[in-house]
Amino acid sequence: MEYTQKLIYQSNYWYNDGLQKAKIRDLSGAITSLKKSLQFNSENIAARNLLGLVYYGRGEVGEALVEWILSKNIHPQDNIAGYYIQKIQESPADLDIINQSIRKYNQSLIYCGQGGEDLAIIQLKQVVSSCPSFLRAYQLLALLYLHTEQYSLARQVLKEANKLDTTNELTLRYMHELAQSRRRRRENGEKPEDKPRKKPQTVTYSIGNETIIQPASAIMKENTSRTTIMNILIGLGVGIAFMWFLIMPAVNKSTSTKTNKQVAAFSDKIAEEEAQIAALKTELESYRAVSEETENAQQTAASTKDSYEIVIEMYSHFLNDDISDSAMVEQILKVNPEALGALGRERYDEMKGTLFPRYSETLYYTARENFDVANYAEAAANLTMLMQIDAGYDDGNAMFLLARAYEASGDADNAAQWKERVEKDYPNVDTSQASEDNSDDYEAYDYDYDDDYYDEEYE
Amino acid sequence: MLNFEEELKRFQPCLEVEDIEEAVYQEDLADMTDLLREVIEQTNK
Repeated sequence: MEYTQKLIYQSNYWYNDGLQKAKIRDLSGAITSLKKSLQFNSENIAARNLLGLVYYGRGEVGEALVEWILSKNIHPQDNIAGYYIQKIQESPADLDIINQSIRKYNQSLIYCGQGGEDLAIIQLKQVVSSCPSFLRAYQLLALLYLHTEQYSLARQVLKEANKLDTTNELTLRYMHELAQSRRRRRENGEKPEDKPRKKPQTVTYSIGNETIIQPASAIMKENTSRTTIMNILIGLGVGIAFMWFLIMPAVNKSTSTKTNKQVAAFSDKIAEEEAQIAALKTELESYRAVSEETENAQQTAASTKDSYEIVIEMYSHFLNDDISDSAMVEQILKVNPEALGALGRERYDEMKGTLFPRYSETLYYTARENFDVANYAEAAANLTMLMQIDAGYDDGNAMFLLARAYEASGDADNAAQWKERVEKDYPNVDTSQASEDNSDDYEAYDYDYDDDYYDEEYE
Repeated sequence: MLNFEEELKRFQPCLEVEDIEEAVYQEDLADMTDLLREVIEQTNK
């Protein structure tokens, strides 16, 4: 057999071995076998492709792509490497996430070398979160947890790492170390729990694709909401106090100033209105006066008209003597002599001069007769009419007779009123005499009246 | 007990996507066949 054939057989042998190990998730063993296979035959495409796949299974995408690219170059046709590469290129976002994770892992290595274990832990937590198949990240994280004595976390991480690669030497070694340290702590009487974790000195959070890492003491991440609420409340209190002591007095002052101005304006307006009202009242009074004058003038005009009408009518009757004196006198009494003109006044005076004495005499004697027959009411009526014509008829005796008539009829008020007037206007009349006596007087007067006649008779 | 520093040395940086091209170029594809050929050539010399 040629040596080339032997080499190929050897290469295939190790490929098969690698394949078997890959199937049981012994990725480290598979990598070793496949590398041996490629050492025998570097053109073993199957081995190279499988090696790439195993690298991909451990989260080492870069190494996987290298193997697939080499495989594709060696054998471009009918090569599944092309399919693998195409699948990765189809999702650039996923590739970017993987690339970021790899960068963070590399950065974590740097942090570890600089003593920044906490930063490295933070980074690696993000890496394993975004790339759950990244074995190296798990292993480095487990190492850091072991170094910082966070054994329970180390255990969890190593469990995950072991699932990815069951026979990985590093994983197994760390798991052994974990068991050893647990035994040691038990022997020393310590509780097998972790020593208190160091308070993380940093706080990290992501904003988009960026990772922000800040010292924990500066942020107090778990109290942010409480601090914010407290700050808001304090701000509200300060704002309210500011408003109460500074702004409210100014506002109140301006409000009161405005109110005062309004009050002043209203007062001015009220005064103005009052002045207007007073002026209007004055005007109204003047209008009323004018109105009264007008009314008086109207009344005067009406009275004049009526007076003229009466005078004209009565003068006609006076000349014709076709109605009684009482009717004419009654109308003439309604005339307002002041409203008459010269001609009207002349006729009025003419009628008055004739009718009034004649009718007065008639009334007086009729009243006396009424008084004599004790018809006091009729006497009072006639004498009242006489008072309208001539109140001082018979030098007040007619007025006195009227008082006596009222007195005799029982009307004490009117009697007293007329008696008082007699005593005032006609003091010569003797008001102390009784009615009987007065009747004698009247009889005597009767005789006196006829004195001339009787004197003529008896002389 | 683990020596953190020593253990840390076991960890090498991973290949980033930007470094793949360079890694491909630097890959040594020599295998046993190339090695035997070299040995034969040296023997024939």
